[in-house]
Amino acid sequence: MEHVQLVGLAIIVSILIGVPLGVYLTTNEYLAESVLQIFSIIMTIPSIALFGVMIPILSTIGQGIGFLPAFIALVLYSQLPIIRNTYTGINEVDPNIRDAAKGLGMTTLQRLIKVEIPNAMPLIMAGVRTATVLNIGVGAIAAYIGAGGLGSLINQGISRSNTTMVLVGAVVVSILAIVVDQLLRYFEKRFTPKGI
Amino acid sequence: MKTKKRIAWIVKILFWLIVITFFTWTIMNDMFRPIVEDFGEFTHLLGQHIIIVFISGLLAILISIPLGILVTRKSFQKSEFWIVNMANLGQTIPSLAVLALAMGFLGIGMKAAIVALFIYSLLPILQNTIAGIRSVDKNTIDAARGIGLTPFQILIKIELPNAASSIIAGIRTALVINIGTAALAYLIGGGGLGAWIFTGIRLFDNAFLISGAVPVTLLAILVDYFFKIMQQVLVPKGLRLAKK
Amino acid sequence: MLEFKNVSKIYNGNKKAVDHVNFNVDEGELVVLLGPSGCGKTTLLRMVNQLESITEGDIHLNNKSVKESNKIEMRRKIGYVIQSNGLFPNMTIEKNVMIVPDLLGWDRKKQLDRFNYLMELIGLHPDEYRKRYPHELSGGQQQRVGVARALAADPPVMLMDEPFGALDPIIRTKIQDEFLQIQKEIKKTILFVSHDIDEAVKMGDKIALFRDGQLQQYNHPFEILHRPANEFVSEFVGQDRVLKSTSLYSVKDLVDSVSLTGYQKAGSVQTVQEDTSLRIVISKLLNQEAEQLAVEDTKGKIKGILTLDLVEKFLYKQIKETPKRTG
Ligand SMILES: Nc1ncnc2c1ncn2[C@@H]1O[C@H](COP(=O)(O)OP(=O)(O)O)[C@@H](O)[C@H]1O
Ligand SMILES: [Mg+2]
Repeated sequence: MEHVQLVGLAIIVSILIGVPLGVYLTTNEYLAESVLQIFSIIMTIPSIALFGVMIPILSTIGQGIGFLPAFIALVLYSQLPIIRNTYTGINEVDPNIRDAAKGLGMTTLQRLIKVEIPNAMPLIMAGVRTATVLNIGVGAIAAYIGAGGLGSLINQGISRSNTTMVLVGAVVVSILAIVVDQLLRYFEKRFTPKGI
Repeated sequence: MKTKKRIAWIVKILFWLIVITFFTWTIMNDMFRPIVEDFGEFTHLLGQHIIIVFISGLLAILISIPLGILVTRKSFQKSEFWIVNMANLGQTIPSLAVLALAMGFLGIGMKAAIVALFIYSLLPILQNTIAGIRSVDKNTIDAARGIGLTPFQILIKIELPNAASSIIAGIRTALVINIGTAALAYLIGGGGLGAWIFTGIRLFDNAFLISGAVPVTLLAILVDYFFKIMQQVLVPKGLRLAKK
Repeated sequence: MLEFKNVSKIYNGNKKAVDHVNFNVDEGELVVLLGPSGCGKTTLLRMVNQLESITEGDIHLNNKSVKESNKIEMRRKIGYVIQSNGLFPNMTIEKNVMIVPDLLGWDRKKQLDRFNYLMELIGLHPDEYRKRYPHELSGGQQQRVGVARALAADPPVMLMDEPFGALDPIIRTKIQDEFLQIQKEIKKTILFVSHDIDEAVKMGDKIALFRDGQLQQYNHPFEILHRPANEFVSEFVGQDRVLKSTSLYSVKDLVDSVSLTGYQKAGSVQTVQEDTSLRIVISKLLNQEAEQLAVEDTKGKIKGILTLDLVEKFLYKQIKETPKRTG
């Protein structure tokens, strides 16, 4: 299904960008402030307006309509929740735990992989969940710029004045969002290291 | 330390350079032409947009804050759990779906759009009102009861000032989402600046796209910024100190 | 003044938190509710100002049942201090302290005078702290302000639930001393919850000792220490109870009861004031700081020499000769 593909791909890419970036930001709080500020401004841009801004830009390389603008928009929107939660999650690891890890002679990288990321995992997962649910919604709107997906059902229903089609589209998208949300909440609990 | 600050500055400057480049590019290509040429239509659409947001937002504020207060009263403790969960669930539903559902039940027009936006705005404000009131330290409330404040006095003097920041944050979230969703209202015949954006998409007309999208974006950022300031201004000083 | 009549509390039909408790508190008395954690002290206290309902029995305040009083009005006449101070973070210190007088409609001038008086009383400069917020104060200062707030409308009765429990030992001792001084001046009827026998002995005119919601013994600290009513009480007060009881006495008590050894002006001798606690005297004598101490009265005149033997003689006399006192 186009919708799931679009959202899934965007989330994977977002995680690949956002988590390392979030980790890196913990080494420079000034940069963290700037980056988080920038992404929260981007987050404020309404999705249809972001499409509206991106289409003219991307049309200069012949990709104005379709998958690419939708994909870029989804990745941009995902950055704030993922980066912020990674950054906060790692920053909030108990300093005592970090000290203990240092005391055991772990290198910075070992500490990150063995101690900090596992402890920040619940928050990172929550960020990914927020981003995913958001993307399902934005993905539906992306149908209007030719990215396909469940939004097309609503789109066509409206233009044909077919109420049933509109309702089916709306309900299916909602159920998709709710199910994914619940599923990710479940994983969040499952993958939280015992004892946190 | 210095290099860290410098990197942060460079990133910021780069971002603003991109923004400036974008605006220069749009202006050079005459992309704000529709606003200039048909200013009357522009103000009409902007007016519609603001009215949709204002009415639905105001209704949402007027209903969800009292509702949040009510739900956190002792006698409603059981319903609180359900309401919080429903608010959570409701916010998972995509905005386009909410609009589509409203159209399915109420037909086409501004009214359906307002109803949809009203319901959608209700949830974050309600959620934040409840969370804000619940975040007040239990011992503080206990002390207040113990020295003889009435439940109403506790609400006015303790709970609401302490929840103010959270409630305003809820309003801020709701309105920003609301402005974006109002841009979709055009789809169900609700008017607003979405009209130009969708026309632009349909006709592959960059000028209409930009003339619709940029004002909507600026409106959202402006409102967001305004409430960010309000959040700082309206929070009692003692609480700002407490956060540090 | 305050009468507990067969008071019981059962939470949600479960175990009894307070079990048929009977005792009276006289006006101006500071009674410590003492016992291990979970024995029902807080519950009993909170039934007085009706923050908890009374399941069975009744509590009378000035011969009137608290159940029948208007809760809000009654609470404004009862000071309430809790462990975590419960100051309102959104209000200045002045607003916090003056909240009850404000609700009672006192005029500005009266409030101002009262605020200044209370702040002086608790040892904080009124003008310096007036516009500050709770989070700008240290834990000890916050707790003092909590006491001032409870005293604001000059309530005849105070309820204090482990008011100094969250403070570190040095500050706690200091505030305890200060509060005893304040109590000498204000003479309130006070219920004071504690789980610390030392604090109870130091603060209480009387101690009510509880176990599993039941009152084990209600009497003067001296009686609790020297004539424990049962196994539980004697275990709770500890094997060093005689040592604990020494904080009940000052040097003056000793001087009044046994005669000091004569004082010769030979060599240098450490001196102690007459109002020093006997506990400190013993500590000094045992600490090899001195084998004997010269007792000095308020005018700086030496009254005689104090030794460990004399302290022992005094304590023996107290335990054997004091007539049995009842609560
Ligand atoms: N609100 C409540 N609901 C149910 N049980 C309670 C409640 N408050 C206290 N209890 C129980 O009542 C007993 C006495 O508690 P409390 O009065 O707080 O003891 P203390 O102050 O002596 O530590 C405890 O077993 C406690 O668990
Ligand atoms: Mg207690």
